[in-house]
Amino acid sequence: MAVEHTARVEDIVEYGPETRGLWLRLATPLAFLPGQFLSCLLPVGGTTLTRPYSIASDPESTERVEIVVDLVPNGPGSHHLFSLVAGDTVRYTGPWGTFALEEAPSSETIFIADGTGIAPIRPMLRRALATAVRPVTLLYGHRAGAPLLFADELAAPHPGYTMHVVPSAALLEETRRRWVDGDTDRTRHFFICGVGAIVHELRDLLRGAGYARQAVRYEKW
Amino acid sequence: MARIHVVYESGEPARTIEFDPREAPFQHDGRPASILDVLLGHGVPLEHACGGSCACTTCHVVVTRGAEFLSPAEENEEDMLDRAPGLTPTSRLGCQAVITDPNAEVHVRVPRHTVNLISGHGS
Repeated sequence: MAVEHTARVEDIVEYGPETRGLWLRLATPLAFLPGQFLSCLLPVGGTTLTRPYSIASDPESTERVEIVVDLVPNGPGSHHLFSLVAGDTVRYTGPWGTFALEEAPSSETIFIADGTGIAPIRPMLRRALATAVRPVTLLYGHRAGAPLLFADELAAPHPGYTMHVVPSAALLEETRRRWVDGDTDRTRHFFICGVGAIVHELRDLLRGAGYARQAVRYEKW
Repeated sequence: MARIHVVYESGEPARTIEFDPREAPFQHDGRPASILDVLLGHGVPLEHACGGSCACTTCHVVVTRGAEFLSPAEENEEDMLDRAPGLTPTSRLGCQAVITDPNAEVHVRVPRHTVNLISGHGS
């Protein structure tokens, strides 16, 4: 079984009443790729829950990482993490996950994030911008009443980079308008992350429109 | 009763579990009556870093008998398996492969290595 490590909660960022960032100080330096997640082992109700949390910080910081937690109704794992205070300990394994980006693809790259699906996209986008030779676009779905995480940072100008913020409910149509109906170019690479059915709907739209299966990568939480 | 027989490449002792699929879920991770759900619910270990939500490949198993008793793989499982080390034609994700037949007999082998893209961590 996987090797367990421990981390200490160092800082808590209140992004909104139901969204928090937890900065973890790791006892063991962690080498990971942008997009990967930690598998947290949470003591809840006399058992241990295994719950994945994407790393929202950059891999260059190997001893201090941020995970983003949404408070899920009837979600014991997220309630446990919301109960933690600075100094508390979290057990984890990892890093895990194959939804990762080591360097930008050689073609135009599109990131699509819905709500807190931005967490793994954030370091992937930063890595892409550092290595890209073709345009990079972020389409960011904003859920009504929810915080728009990392908005100022993501909006910072960068050559070849564009960000569009749309309501979550418009993500599918906006994707269709820009990258399906907009032209016949099917060489783009897509990285999609979000919660729920929208992720598979976007996948099906793009693959159905002729983009290669391997060029449409996604992570659905 | 349905049966799952598990062999571990790591050398851990093989296990056989008898269960009634109609009693699923047996615990809280993976699809109800999935191989992961059955194993964990009967105290048999199987890695599942993402909590059984089809977001990693750590519950990869190779089905050596009884594949016809398992629910067909959906696109998200196929996409994940694309990136599993040691992929075989009968590879499945334990969290997604569901057994509904109360007379099913399924044999699986758990590969030694799980993937995390960076060596030295995880498995």
